[in-house]
Amino acid sequence: MAVRRALDAGERVTRSPARLDQPQAVDAGPAELFVIATDPVVQGVIRLAADTAAGVGRVTSISADRLPASVMTEPRPIVVLDLDGAVPSIAPVAAVLDLAPDVRVVVLSERDDGAFVLEAMRLGAFAVLRKPDGLHTLSDVLAQVAGGERVLPTDLEQSAVSELRRFARQVHAASTVATPVTDREREILELAAEGFTTHQIGRRLGISPRTVEAHVAKLYRKLGVKTRIQAITRAAALGLIDMSE
Amino acid sequence: MGKRPSETRATQPPRRRLGVVVVDPLGVVRAGLGMLIANADGTELLAEAGTADEALRAIARARRSRVVVLVGLGLEEPHDASWLIREIRERYPTHAVLAVGANADPTSISRALFVGADGFIDKRVEPEEFFESISRAGEREVVLAGPTSSSVGQIADGIHRRRELDAMLTPREREVLAIAAEGLTAREIAARLGVRERTVTTHLGRIYGKLGVGNRLAAVRLAARSGLVTVGTPE
Repeated sequence: MAVRRALDAGERVTRSPARLDQPQAVDAGPAELFVIATDPVVQGVIRLAADTAAGVGRVTSISADRLPASVMTEPRPIVVLDLDGAVPSIAPVAAVLDLAPDVRVVVLSERDDGAFVLEAMRLGAFAVLRKPDGLHTLSDVLAQVAGGERVLPTDLEQSAVSELRRFARQVHAASTVATPVTDREREILELAAEGFTTHQIGRRLGISPRTVEAHVAKLYRKLGVKTRIQAITRAAALGLIDMSE
Repeated sequence: MGKRPSETRATQPPRRRLGVVVVDPLGVVRAGLGMLIANADGTELLAEAGTADEALRAIARARRSRVVVLVGLGLEEPHDASWLIREIRERYPTHAVLAVGANADPTSISRALFVGADGFIDKRVEPEEFFESISRAGEREVVLAGPTSSSVGQIADGIHRRRELDAMLTPREREVLAIAAEGLTAREIAARLGVRERTVTTHLGRIYGKLGVGNRLAAVRLAARSGLVTVGTPE
């Protein structure tokens, strides 16, 4: 029930104040801060920033694999989530917010492309900062997040906004496809995009090559194309399959 | 004014001012925006229009390759802001279209972007930011002035939900749901689409099943959240 989940997420974020509104008064005491970071240097930087941030209270280091119950029960918990590596996945952000939807997540990452920033904010993150230069502002950002504001540095905000148009256009183009593509058809598209032949796809999915052909023919009709390459590029343009990896 | 000093290119010959068309149902808003734009250095007011159809005629008369069209979200039926944005996007792909609203909720911004807008300006921003947004749109940038960091995620989520809905429903089912949102009975929907009432109830049943809801109200609420249908005024 992906839609239900998205719906809940929508209701959750609707309550957050818009930028033009006054930030919430910090009268419920300092916000508890949880740190998910494996790098001891980054951990130290976060603790240092938290010490000087207004409205931020106790700091606890936790593991992403096992969120302590207090993360879910604290009234306004902040989780600073450090994503490792040059091309980190967004998955940990989704995982934390799935378990604890009221948590205010601050994402630290070396990735700063629009798709990454926008997806983090869409999932409900309160802030995204680029490492290492964004760490200088962490103390201020934590104070703002403790006050209920969502924060993005100007350049990250602009790349997220640019991505928003690309995303909107892609979804709009996909909505013009006459019939939705089924999960099975998408599966076949993805395998075809990886270069598998009809026979190989059939073997992988445990169906006959003829069935694969039937699916492919239906896909051509739905996508309005005549060749396999056209089908793959069209599906990628519509965002039906991800060819970025 | 309108451009920051760092953006002016003193060494280049003076360029033609950026043409702007203002579309808003409220005369006072049109007059106010029109005056600001006409008196600014970098912009030129090409036309004002109070309806979508007037706007299309004005844009056709403009004969420019790049025009910034400001579309007020308050435009109403039969041709609302979404309709106009889609038309401009199709007929004039090089023009920039900015949706303009006051206090607009993220869903209507999602919807405007989905149908082809290049951005959104909140009427409550300062004139300086307003002009900066217009000139940036003239440079083909995407602009979100007013509701930025706080709602960029919500706006994206609206579009994302639209994709999920689109992935589940066929175009005919979407059509049925959109009409159902107007409050028509199955018989009335059938008459509008020229099909049997039985066909409509089958469609509705399938829609509820796919969306995992029990009744029409829940289905319409879902559709409204994903911007498939508008319920109430967008401003």
